[in-house]
Amino acid sequence: MLPFGYAVRNLYRNKTRLAQTLAGSALVVLLVMGAQALNAGMRRTLNASGSPDNVMLLGAGSEESVQRSEVSEQAAGIAEASLAGVATVMDTRAVSPEIFHMAYLEMPDGSISRGMVRGVTHRALLTHRRVSIQEGIFPGPGQMMVGRLAWKRLGVTPDALEPGTTILLDEIPFTLSGIFAAPGTVMESEVWMDLNDLRTAAQRETVSSVVVRLESGEREDVEIFARQRLDLELSPIGEKEYYERLAAFYAPVRSMTWITAVLIATAAIFAGFNTLYAAFASRVREIATLQAIGFRRSAVLVSLIQESMMTSLLGALLGSVLASILLTDRLIHLSTGTFRLTVGPETLFAGIITGVILGIVGALPPAFRCLKPSLPQALRD
Amino acid sequence: MSTSNDILVRCRGVTKQYKKGETLVTPLESLDLDVPRGDFLAMMGPSGSGKTTLLNLLSGIDQPTSGTIEFDGMEIQDLPRRKLAGWRARHVGYIFQLYHLVPVLTAFENVELPLLLDDMSRRDRRERVEAALSLVGLADRVHHYPRELSGGQEQRVAIARALVADPALLVADEPTGDLDREAADAILGLLQTLVREQHKTVVMVTHDPRAADAAMRILHLEKGRLQEAAV
Repeated sequence: MLPFGYAVRNLYRNKTRLAQTLAGSALVVLLVMGAQALNAGMRRTLNASGSPDNVMLLGAGSEESVQRSEVSEQAAGIAEASLAGVATVMDTRAVSPEIFHMAYLEMPDGSISRGMVRGVTHRALLTHRRVSIQEGIFPGPGQMMVGRLAWKRLGVTPDALEPGTTILLDEIPFTLSGIFAAPGTVMESEVWMDLNDLRTAAQRETVSSVVVRLESGEREDVEIFARQRLDLELSPIGEKEYYERLAAFYAPVRSMTWITAVLIATAAIFAGFNTLYAAFASRVREIATLQAIGFRRSAVLVSLIQESMMTSLLGALLGSVLASILLTDRLIHLSTGTFRLTVGPETLFAGIITGVILGIVGALPPAFRCLKPSLPQALRD
Repeated sequence: MSTSNDILVRCRGVTKQYKKGETLVTPLESLDLDVPRGDFLAMMGPSGSGKTTLLNLLSGIDQPTSGTIEFDGMEIQDLPRRKLAGWRARHVGYIFQLYHLVPVLTAFENVELPLLLDDMSRRDRRERVEAALSLVGLADRVHHYPRELSGGQEQRVAIARALVADPALLVADEPTGDLDREAADAILGLLQTLVREQHKTVVMVTHDPRAADAAMRILHLEKGRLQEAAV
């Protein structure tokens, strides 16, 4: 085998070329890690958003989108009275009628943003157990409460959404009563307000869904209830299942991020080909000399791959550091909610694998081309 | 008269042909040659006469189209490429006109390269490299990179590299072609010393009659055939 030091020192032959290759590798790794972090964040958030104990009663035919769902106002009361096995907290049954409404909100600084507003009653806290009020109080009439990541979704600074400030919904002022947390769920980017206020503002007579938290009851009981009360036109769906479907709905978005990352990585590999063609081509005679001394082609090939791998892995390291700095805890918002990017072990693994692939795939064609000429011809070059 | 044991390299009916576009080129045709052990043979001839081709065939860098090449009694012309690489490492040291040193390695590391192919301890390698560099008069340039050496010094490093693995045969392709007279004389003197004191066999290609005069024998090649031999 050729000494490892040979591969290392070859890196410094052309510092500009090294810098270009490093930057290219780092950029691709950063991009792949970004795609991975986004997808993992989206998947994790959507998976965490649904509770396995909760069943959503949606309007029949609207199982795909709670925003389009229309459920009779009476449904919550009837479900509360009829369903067995519903969780009870301090004599209150965990049945929460809710309205989901995408609305334009005027922020305290005058800017207008589109956000997800959920109309709720106090019972929402019985069904959505991840929700805890961090600051202020639960909203009553004329009030709103925001998730702790809503500022990102609404395009303002966190300071702009302090309790006591006023937000306009359809020109009606609402006082911010509190800030809540719901770790790892899409709810953290929502605005919650009194159910009746939102019903009025949204000019609707129905609610979007009734969320039921089951304690001892079975999902089947809810399905039987929905079948028995055909007049209510209900379609029950597990809350977890609903968000899983939503995650599936975003599959094309995830695919697009991967396709974009792969396309850019491919372009980078071709750019790497050019760089390495130039790097290796200038050493055809030197490589032939090594073979003339007695080194096998395979030994030379391994050395060239080592050289390429070192550059790409250094690039991967640089890309990983950049990813940690630029991506960690970065918030990305989509219509469904806000996702927090996390550079975890799987993201780092994706980065390293990308570096390895760039190193090997990028080196092989230039190396083969460099080793292709016969020894006498290469020595004459 | 040389006995068969005295012959290090024996070529019989060696022909080399290759295609250049549609044309079949024959740089060597039915060549017979014996190179005795301890010989210092200079090969001269005009460009395209087949000198370098013959050198490449003798050193296992290239293989003949037909004919046999025996090295120390073993036929090498049909060895597969992998085995030929190992054979070269053990038996042949190649000296190039333009030295062909690896620019990112020091003189020591360049000379050490052939020894990395053997299972040899680091200490043994160091001893042999230092001995080879001393032999060529560069003991004080061990840690210099090629760019820090003169042409003559680079060629000495190349010679040290060629002989460090103690091969029986040294082949040199225009070893003085890129050097001034003084440096060229020094290199030729060194090759003579290697033949005389280290009992190496040297086959050298040269255009320079003065360089050829340093050899024990001179062969002339023309159009792929040996024309005459002078002693």
